[in-house]
Amino acid sequence: MSARAARAFATASAAERRVIAVLGVVGLLLIIGLLAGGIGPAYLLYLLGLSGMYILLAVGLNVQWGYAGLINFSVAAFFGLGAYGTAMLTASNTPLGVSLSPLVGLLVGILLAAVVAVLIAVPTLRLRADYLAIASLGLAEVIRIVIQNQRGLTNGNAGLRGLPLFYGEWPLIGGLVDRLPTVLIHEVSLGPVTLLGLRLGRSVWVGTFNLLIATALIAVVYLVVRRLHRSPWGRLLRTIRADEDLARALGKRTYRRKMEAFVLGSVIMAIAGVYYAHLNLFVTPQNLAPINTFYVWVAVILGGAGSNRGAVFGGFMIIAIREGTRFLGDLLPATITVGVDLIDTTYATVAANFAATRLLAVGLLIILVIRLRPEGLLPPEAELIWPAAQEEADG
Amino acid sequence: MAVLEYLANGLVFSSIIILASIGLSLVYSIARFANFAHGDTLTVGAYGAFVGFALIGDVGPTVLGLPGGFYIAVAVGAAVAAVVAVVTQRLVYDALEIGAIGLLITSIGVAFVYRALVILGFGTGSLRYAVPAQRPIPALVPIGIRITTQEVAIVVVALVLVVGLHLLLRYTLLGRMMRATADNADLAQVTGIRTAQITRWTWVIGAGLAGVGGVFLGLYNQVEPRMGFNILLVVFAAVILGGIGSVYGAMIGGFLIGMIDQLTPLLGDLGIPIGTEYSYAIAFVIMVLVLLVRPTGIAGGDPG
Repeated sequence: MSARAARAFATASAAERRVIAVLGVVGLLLIIGLLAGGIGPAYLLYLLGLSGMYILLAVGLNVQWGYAGLINFSVAAFFGLGAYGTAMLTASNTPLGVSLSPLVGLLVGILLAAVVAVLIAVPTLRLRADYLAIASLGLAEVIRIVIQNQRGLTNGNAGLRGLPLFYGEWPLIGGLVDRLPTVLIHEVSLGPVTLLGLRLGRSVWVGTFNLLIATALIAVVYLVVRRLHRSPWGRLLRTIRADEDLARALGKRTYRRKMEAFVLGSVIMAIAGVYYAHLNLFVTPQNLAPINTFYVWVAVILGGAGSNRGAVFGGFMIIAIREGTRFLGDLLPATITVGVDLIDTTYATVAANFAATRLLAVGLLIILVIRLRPEGLLPPEAELIWPAAQEEADG
Repeated sequence: MAVLEYLANGLVFSSIIILASIGLSLVYSIARFANFAHGDTLTVGAYGAFVGFALIGDVGPTVLGLPGGFYIAVAVGAAVAAVVAVVTQRLVYDALEIGAIGLLITSIGVAFVYRALVILGFGTGSLRYAVPAQRPIPALVPIGIRITTQEVAIVVVALVLVVGLHLLLRYTLLGRMMRATADNADLAQVTGIRTAQITRWTWVIGAGLAGVGGVFLGLYNQVEPRMGFNILLVVFAAVILGGIGSVYGAMIGGFLIGMIDQLTPLLGDLGIPIGTEYSYAIAFVIMVLVLLVRPTGIAGGDPG
């Protein structure tokens, strides 16, 4: 296995090496942060779980935009349908007054997203690309407004809280998180530096299982979409993206294929929503805000349209950007005194609103990637080739 | 009669939407992409005027409930929006060799940068222009219209600008060259029109009008960082209803969408259970229906 990994690294392209380097640096920073006590283990696990959600969303959007070239600006809406689909059935304060299993929630969330995806796709997929962008954003807003105002179903702006853990009722591991002991890892002093001193309690076990669930979901989704991407269906979608008229001239039913890609991508987004609902245990209409759609877009553009690996990398990087800017903001002093009034007050405003640098970073990232590397950091290369064919070619 | 009140409000809101729609449509007609940063251009204009008004202060005579200094601040807001748009066009859009979709996605990044800078400079809270608070015009209250003189000022200024733009497009050389470039940029260039210059003027006018729209939106509601993005889809709805790329279509579309938005309470009055919280949703649904039935909109002949 390690020999294969070494060979993979040796044959990696320059871009791949850079990505591996970035991931290595981020991973190293996280480990240092964990050891030095800068970041709690439960929070780190929560962040990793959250990046699992973004990875799922990015993989879903990649099916639509990367494979088929569909500009879907309603990512947050499908995410929200998944989240609300399960939350309405499982939350402790649901107006529906039911308390079903999260597995039912998952099915309902997927079903809801699939139905809405078809309803949205039927009219909009015939539209020109930029109209599809505007129309899908508009319909996503309609969904958000409906969820916000149908208090009898969704509890409105107050949101739905008290969701159970996804695996709460499963045999064996369901009650495990409550029974696992609290482990203390004692502090280690290395000269002036104090390391470790961690307390691994219930929240850490919960985070661990959530992360396992995320990993399992990503693995299944990833294998499915990769298989589809390499299949004739995937090849046809790539043709449609490149030249839909050509595909149609070849007698292909392009509308059907686009519809399938749209629904598949939306269902993956809904799965991410269900997962998020049982990770965060609280959903509000704010989760459907358009900004969340654009975070996922950044992930896909950064990773490279059409690239599954790129989508995974991009999804991970979104959390890195989010948390990195937060971390920097915490480091900054709230005020400085230069003596010049204008500079002092400006600095205070900037420091107080440092969260906006996240928006700035995302915006600049979009502009810079499209300007400097429109194909993304990990454009699809070898991943479209069957491994067997590759080995044959290598001799 | 509540209807008169709704219509009066509709007129005010329409004026704002029309100013924003014209800019979006103008830019589309020449740059050929859906500019998602247009909403945040409104925000930039509103904040530009806020700073301008704070510097200028209450100078000059009061016209229609607004001090003369505020009218200068409106011009400042328009100028700031125009400068920001032209700088963006040169630095970002011009440097890209990419299709309409790439430009569209880039404009989302631009929108985020605008908004982030506004928040970093002014915070996330809402601001109000320091203009005297107003009561509804007493003469109109008996017939059920509660509208302030400042709101009348919004309508009057918007009307002046719309008429001015019409005269510019129809009767000046610049207007003719703008129309020619929008119609067929290559042909315009062959006839000796400096299309790059015309494109820049189009951005100036479009963003300037958006800036004025932003100031009035801030005067009508309040000034806050998300004001422009929140209204962007309504503006898109107006532009698409009117026919994207058509200036006169944008005027009609802006008028209709603004009116429909403010007439939403009528549904409740008639017993239809759709509240005002759905007024934007109605506009979006209209937009999608227009795209399906008649993508060229009311005035558009060229589907692009």
